[in-house]
Amino acid sequence: MKPRNEQELPIIRIRDCLLVSIQIELHDRLALELQTALAERVRSQGVRGVILDVTWVEIIDSYITRILNDIGKSVRFMGADCYIVGIRPAVAMTLVEMGVELDAVSTALNLDAALEKLELRQ
Amino acid sequence: MRTVESEIGSILAGSISEITQRSIFRRLGGMARAQLQHLSTQDRHAIQAELESSVRLFAPAKSAQLIASCARALALLGAPAAGGAPASHLHRGAPAAAGMAAPIAIGKDQCLAIDSEKDIASARLEAWSEAVRIGMSKLTSVKVATAVSELARNIIFYAGKGTIELRPRQDHRETRLEIVAADQGAGIEPEKLDSIFAGTFRSERGMGKGLMAVQKLVDEFQIDSRPGRGTRVSCVFRGAR
Repeated sequence: MKPRNEQELPIIRIRDCLLVSIQIELHDRLALELQTALAERVRSQGVRGVILDVTWVEIIDSYITRILNDIGKSVRFMGADCYIVGIRPAVAMTLVEMGVELDAVSTALNLDAALEKLELRQ
Repeated sequence: MRTVESEIGSILAGSISEITQRSIFRRLGGMARAQLQHLSTQDRHAIQAELESSVRLFAPAKSAQLIASCARALALLGAPAAGGAPASHLHRGAPAAAGMAAPIAIGKDQCLAIDSEKDIASARLEAWSEAVRIGMSKLTSVKVATAVSELARNIIFYAGKGTIELRPRQDHRETRLEIVAADQGAGIEPEKLDSIFAGTFRSERGMGKGLMAVQKLVDEFQIDSRPGRGTRVSCVFRGAR
């Protein structure tokens, strides 16, 4: 077993979804670890969706956008859906102005809404 | 044909890189291509004001000298000898240079060292709180923080280290936050710079996107990069007073 890194992001199982609440600064290594861990758990636990909660992320720049898109793509390749929830209004408007796309993930207002959408797809 | 662009360009040459000059003239729009004798006093003042703020930002060390030379060129070349407007028209009102109040500092300039990845987050926070402090809206403050985040990442990814300077200013119209990101990294070749802003360049880590994003977020944007000597990005956020 790999030693537990204090900067690891906990992945929580809710119904048949995985939830990650992003509350620390994402960087290359952490993002790659998260991407790998999620892909592995999507496969081993047969979940239907992955939800990334960014309620506590105050700034999303083009680099973070790319990380979120990469995670979304790998989750989709595994046959699950990836939802980003909790994007703040000012962050959403900034992303529009920057012209970056969050095209490899779906979005929902909050965790409830994402779970509902995922369940409806049954 | 002596246009504003050709005359002022020759004064700025050597002090401000060509690519920065080009964006200054782009901001002047049709006025840059106008022949000097056809300019109205109002146009002349607008050009002078624009040049002053650009020169202060991009060539601070030589700004006084450059501004004076530009003012002289604009005044001299538009004189009646050139066959254009009468003298009374030219000299009415205050001289352009004196008419424009320079923006004043409304707080200390801060120079943030960007040496490691964790400095990205702290630079972003610092910029955010500075924007809030000088009264910028919530949305603008988030945009400021996002732009600083992009600039700091570029410094870490491509130059290793550098600085980001925050300069809070106010002029007669508005509050401004000037942000200058500088590094002594490898620099960007002019062709690459062109393709970044044409949207056709993609680096492995998405730098093209970052610079483009900053350019779209800010109200004024200039980049000065010389291969082997580093990169300097200057931008301004404006907030209503």
